Amino acid sequence: MALLNTLVLAILATGFLIVSRRSLDAIIRLYALQNVLLALVSFGLAGGEFHFVLAGLALFAVKGVLIPWYLFWLIDRLEVSHEVEGYLSVSLSLLLAGLLTALAFRVGKAFVLPEAPLPQGVPVALALVLLGILSMVSRKKAISQVLGFLALENGVFLMALSESHGLPLFVELGVALDAFAAVFLAGILIFRIKGEMGHVDTARMRSLRG
Amino acid sequence: MVLYLLVLLPLVVFLARKEASLLVRLSVLVPLLSFLLAPFLLGTAAGPFRLDGVGLFYLLLTNLIYALVALFARGYFAREEAWRFYWAGALFLASAHGAYLAHNLGMLWVFVEGSTLASALLVYHKGGARPLEATWKYLMLGSVGIAMGLIGVILVYALVGGATLDWGEVRSLVGEADPEGLKVAFALLLVGFGTKVGLFPLQAWLPDAHAEAPGPASALLSGTLLNVAFYALLRYAAIMQAAGLFAFASSLLLTFGLLTLLFAALFLFGQKEYKRLLAYSSMEHMGLAVFALGLGLPWLALFHTLAHSLAKTLAFLGASGILSLTHAKEVGRVGGLVFHLPALGIPYVLALAALGSLPPFPLFLAEFKAVEAAMRWPGLAGLYLLGLGMAFAGLLSPMAQMGFGRGKPLRGQGLDLWILWLLLGILVILGVFPGVEVFKGLEVVLWRK
Repeated sequence: MALLNTLVLAILATGFLIVSRRSLDAIIRLYALQNVLLALVSFGLAGGEFHFVLAGLALFAVKGVLIPWYLFWLIDRLEVSHEVEGYLSVSLSLLLAGLLTALAFRVGKAFVLPEAPLPQGVPVALALVLLGILSMVSRKKAISQVLGFLALENGVFLMALSESHGLPLFVELGVALDAFAAVFLAGILIFRIKGEMGHVDTARMRSLRG
Repeated sequence: MVLYLLVLLPLVVFLARKEASLLVRLSVLVPLLSFLLAPFLLGTAAGPFRLDGVGLFYLLLTNLIYALVALFARGYFAREEAWRFYWAGALFLASAHGAYLAHNLGMLWVFVEGSTLASALLVYHKGGARPLEATWKYLMLGSVGIAMGLIGVILVYALVGGATLDWGEVRSLVGEADPEGLKVAFALLLVGFGTKVGLFPLQAWLPDAHAEAPGPASALLSGTLLNVAFYALLRYAAIMQAAGLFAFASSLLLTFGLLTLLFAALFLFGQKEYKRLLAYSSMEHMGLAVFALGLGLPWLALFHTLAHSLAKTLAFLGASGILSLTHAKEVGRVGGLVFHLPALGIPYVLALAALGSLPPFPLFLAEFKAVEAAMRWPGLAGLYLLGLGMAFAGLLSPMAQMGFGRGKPLRGQGLDLWILWLLLGILVILGVFPGVEVFKGLEVVLWRK
């Protein structure tokens, strides 16, 4: 149990670092690390059941390797700066992240169900969801919004692990497939946005109103 | 086994590669085949899939609309490459099949999200600054919203002891689940699927996506995609009912349905582009359907979505015809359609009248029944009528301008306008013979079995 606690705290730490870092490369690596940690948590909860291990491995392959690889490939091909431009300074982002995490821990207790296998994971999962939303709304580059969405999605995954040992295998795989398809599609769109408008700054996309 | 094949059937379209005539033929044949095949599969089950009455109802509706839209698209895309539309359409049709056949709440979620991704491709079509912006907004907002819905699914799964996600089994187990937890789960699910239905205040993506997509794609979005998410809400409302928590679900559904109606009606006023007008009208009607569900009348919600799908498909196909003939997006630059091109003008104007819920069109009956039921709470019925009146007034002036105002003569070459008349015919028949008993029968499947 002590090991699981450490892992959960490490996941929370990666969530914080993702919000505060300013380099896309670092954020993608942190995201990959977050998935490694999540896979370890799911192995830890498996209790020797083989299909859990299988699910963890499949998810690790999709979200820990395939998606980060695709994102690295994407930012190389895009030829834009690898720096994240945000509306908020690093210190302000961290302050907000701290407040959101505190909120998640305050509210999270009410979310813990009586038979949850990993009760301490629930508030962390909620915090990851909120931090994901924070980085989606506070950053300008299209690709950092995708990363925010992925971090949010990991929060949802941790929620599933903490409350109920994870969803059934085929649902979990469907969800991972959806996530990959969404990221793939977003990648294509980002290419087109770059080609069409010469930038990947979603703050400058505001021709549609009312 | 056959159910798995039915879900994969729409992907047959990819065999045509980019060859236009074959694409059209397959895109019409596939939904027709599915339309004919599906009734024989009623009650069969395979793995996470099972086809019950409500799923069959939406599956038939989707296939009918898809076949007509695919046929209309042949004329619409005559001068440009159409393969993008048919390819994205095939992916969309496959995910809609998956959603209506899924009897498992997890698979339902997976296919609803799949339909978001496929329809984002429909909106994007070939790009350009405005469609790109609309697609990006849709993808981001839609994905975040639906992720909230997934938390709801997980909570439901945990609340029934992590035993099953089968809809029927969840419904029988949910009585013993913790009611407070279920309320939280339902609120999250309403946020998730409500984003996709276009409920206020989560609707920001809807008018952009529906207005920027190419015409036939807009028709699919309004006529079939919104139903996919609404169908998920129907299933969860039934779960809440089985748990004895319908009063809670009802208050949320009534509130958000009414807010959506009022907000959309407000935006219908002063809307200059006719496709955006239709998009806000979709929001209005989905709000009304959610309201009908909140009244505890699922049959009415089913009837409302059917009538809306037919009328909105007709309106969007008409609008896309007008756009391709006039190249004008604004209401003020199109006029006198009824005189200059009656084959297009008459069904289009009547579609607006149907959406404004004039008799003898079926939406009149739907709204009349809803007001009747809402009379138990006079304040609620009053607000409902206020919203309806505002929405009607918002549609009236564009209808008058586009139908009878001043405008240039037009020639409707190349478009299959008979499809509009066919849809109009179905609408009138449904208005005169609403077949309420059929919908009440479906309600029993959803609600009481």
